[in-house]
Amino acid sequence: MSSTSLREAAVPYAAWPRRIGRVLLHTKLYWGLIALYGIAVFVSPVSSRGVNIFLTTANQSDVLRQVSNNGIVAVGMTLVILIGGIDLSVGSVMALGSVVCAMLLTQTGWSAAAYLAIPLFGAFVLLMVGWIVPILVGARPGAKPGCWALGLLAAAGATWWTIGQLPGKFGVLGVLLVVPVVGLAVGALNGVIVARARLQPFIVTLAMMVGMLGTARLVAGPDTTVYPVYTGTNATPAFESLRLLIWHVLPVPGLFFLAAVVLFSLLLRRTTFGRYVYAIGGNEQATRFSGIGVDRVKIAVYGIAGALAALAGVLYVAQYRQGKPDAGVGIELDAIAAVVIGGTNLMGGKGSIIGTLVGVLIFGFLGNILQLRNIDSNTQLVLKGVIIIVAVMLQEGNLRLLRRA
Amino acid sequence: MADSPLLSMRGIGKSFGAVPVLRDVDLTLHAGEVLALMGENGAGKSTLMKILGAIYPDHDGQITINNQPVALESPRAAAEAGIAFIHQELNLVAGLTVAGNIFLGREPRRAGLFIDEARMGRDCAALLRRLGFRLDPGATVGSLRVGEQQLVEIAKALSLDARILIMDEPTSALSQTETEALFRVVRGLAEQGVAIIYITHRMEEVFRVADRVMVLRDGAAVGELAAAGAPRRELIRLMIGRDVADFFATHRRPAGELVMEVEDLWLEQPGRAIGRSRTLDGVSFSIRAGEILGIGGLLGSGRTELLETLFGAAEGRSGGRIRIDGKPVTIRSPAEAKRAGIALVSEDRRREGLVMLAGLDANVALPTQPALATAGVISRRRELDLAAGTIRRLGIRAAPVQSVATLSGGNQQKVVFGKWLPTEPRVLLLDEPTRGIDVGAKAEIYQLLAELAAAGLAVIMVSSELPELLSQCDRILVLREGRPTALLDRNEFSAERVLAFASPGYAAAGGSDEQYQPA
Repeated sequence: MSSTSLREAAVPYAAWPRRIGRVLLHTKLYWGLIALYGIAVFVSPVSSRGVNIFLTTANQSDVLRQVSNNGIVAVGMTLVILIGGIDLSVGSVMALGSVVCAMLLTQTGWSAAAYLAIPLFGAFVLLMVGWIVPILVGARPGAKPGCWALGLLAAAGATWWTIGQLPGKFGVLGVLLVVPVVGLAVGALNGVIVARARLQPFIVTLAMMVGMLGTARLVAGPDTTVYPVYTGTNATPAFESLRLLIWHVLPVPGLFFLAAVVLFSLLLRRTTFGRYVYAIGGNEQATRFSGIGVDRVKIAVYGIAGALAALAGVLYVAQYRQGKPDAGVGIELDAIAAVVIGGTNLMGGKGSIIGTLVGVLIFGFLGNILQLRNIDSNTQLVLKGVIIIVAVMLQEGNLRLLRRA
Repeated sequence: MADSPLLSMRGIGKSFGAVPVLRDVDLTLHAGEVLALMGENGAGKSTLMKILGAIYPDHDGQITINNQPVALESPRAAAEAGIAFIHQELNLVAGLTVAGNIFLGREPRRAGLFIDEARMGRDCAALLRRLGFRLDPGATVGSLRVGEQQLVEIAKALSLDARILIMDEPTSALSQTETEALFRVVRGLAEQGVAIIYITHRMEEVFRVADRVMVLRDGAAVGELAAAGAPRRELIRLMIGRDVADFFATHRRPAGELVMEVEDLWLEQPGRAIGRSRTLDGVSFSIRAGEILGIGGLLGSGRTELLETLFGAAEGRSGGRIRIDGKPVTIRSPAEAKRAGIALVSEDRRREGLVMLAGLDANVALPTQPALATAGVISRRRELDLAAGTIRRLGIRAAPVQSVATLSGGNQQKVVFGKWLPTEPRVLLLDEPTRGIDVGAKAEIYQLLAELAAAGLAVIMVSSELPELLSQCDRILVLREGRPTALLDRNEFSAERVLAFASPGYAAAGGSDEQYQPA
């Protein structure tokens, strides 16, 4: 103890730069974003009336709108990467979600989308009410038969309600509830294979990515040139609300993104589920050996990633007015990049949703300023690649290339 | 020539920042001598050896080899000076052969390009013969047992003409027989003139292999003794700086009610157990509250597998009947084991015990999460209270939020104990509970065991250290190749007996299996 105070007494000034350095190191993620933002303001074109275009409310809210799909997918990806996994199938799941959503919105009667979505939704409600919620609220296994009965009742109600929407077309609430469940099912299937068959998540989700792309095309129909198009008038007008700008500033997809950030941030930090996620990524074996149902947590995490991807599909339909099987091509890589830039360890166990938010925004602002400067899209890709490497090197806290091993 | 030391270290000191970890340590070593270096974790043994191995080139004091001052500036310079360091974790390439590992980076070549496998094999065989190691140069290192891998590491070091060999706890992963073999190798090398510094925690080993013992405490050399006849108590006193009168306290068995009954437990691991169908078979025993049951046996006898099967964590298919408090239970996963009141403190803290990235608080709270939360939302206050309570109860020297990676082995082990106690287990399974921890922490763990047993827990303990089994347990179940061979009561305990029942070929040599009667 005396040596500590001795050291502090001996070097009272040298400690300060060190302390500042440490604070800078801990907050480097935010400094990266702030630096990029500053540069963007500086290089932004200025309109003839002297307005900095990058800083206009319209542009800022447009960035939020543009990043929200990637952001929602990246939130789910953060969970998957935190448990030491990876999910390559989110792009295809988002595409499937967009197709199912557009079809439910625009087609009456039993379309392929309805055949896929309605049974899954019924099964989901049954499992939730009959099994998962009782576990979550800590009900003992003894209460099971009652829970299952309640679940069956709820599932019947849910199915009746969804089928009831078919003669007309699905409403906003309908697609917002049903489509994510389709994604949840696909994600949970990923999780079951990864957890139970102990296969590499990379391989499992790669296979799922290919398989779901095919499924999306099959659901969309044999004529691959005509995708279910949502024109803005051939469905419930309420769906337009997903395109709204609240108070002319906050785009609704951005609202979903921010809500997901807050929700899953709280989930990770404040709940037992969140603790298990970090513990599994930190040491899966030790977590299993602590008597924790590791497989269940994994299945839930992949399920969440799938549900969020499908939700992104719904928002995609609202923004681009169509659902198509190639809607989410490449989005898994953008999401992974954002997660990694956000400081989440690819080996799992370390990272945060807030980090991912910053990663997504770094990507968003970068793309935006390059677009404002009219830099061609191929150059943008090259720059994106460079940014990923540089950002991750900064995250690691060193520039090893410059140092000898 | 024996008069002038081969190695002499004078006034060695080392500080990290302003914290001194070594102060004015002198060490001399003669050719052909085995010097045991003892001390608690953090005493400075490893630091001293890392200075000698030039992993820390920056230090006070002087090092001379053959009376020549040497500046050891890099591990490479140390190797050139004839110093070889065999670390606790082996540095071998599992996919290469024995010869490939020994000659890694300096393979004999043909036409300057192609590895001359034939010559490498011949050279390697010659080296192994000279050292008296029975190893196949062409065997893949990954297929060897740990003890054999260690020999490869030693051969590799000596092939570089090492005159000074540093071995850091070489037996920590070895079975009894492998340890015996290693001792013979160490003595043989010493006879060939190699000087050996042998770091260890285990008292027995000092008496077996060393000529001289040097004890470090708090960064200073506190004593040097001839190994032969060094009093055990004196060594312990030197290491921990106080007299531990009742270090090997004997544990009295209070009569408690029957807690767990195991009947005919078996385990099948396809692809694991070679040459026999079942890794475990026909294991039956029962245990009462307050009892400590030891599991003896050689490495590979199924000791760890027995604990893992009881904990629902073993790979493969298993069966048998388990009753706890008279009620039959099925245990297919650690989660079910936890619910049934079984806890496991596993052998490998880093792999199975702790989440190294996380803090003490999160680790302690892991098995009891649901109890700390309301509808899934954690109460941070309850979590911190639990961590603080565990620290107090077990005397862990750490802060509640400290990362477990920064704790010493003994404190880490206490955290693993600490995370299970709040689950209020009925049966505590311990796999090598004192592996890799220092004497002081060991005594505390034994103390804790006695307390837990007194509080009515049934404890099942696996240990490869016979003195530990003999001193701590009420009964010992001996396993051989997955089959129980004896269930010894305290009055029948002896090291020879346990070893005899554990060793293959004992029955053939006239012993009988009648000793084993499942209670």
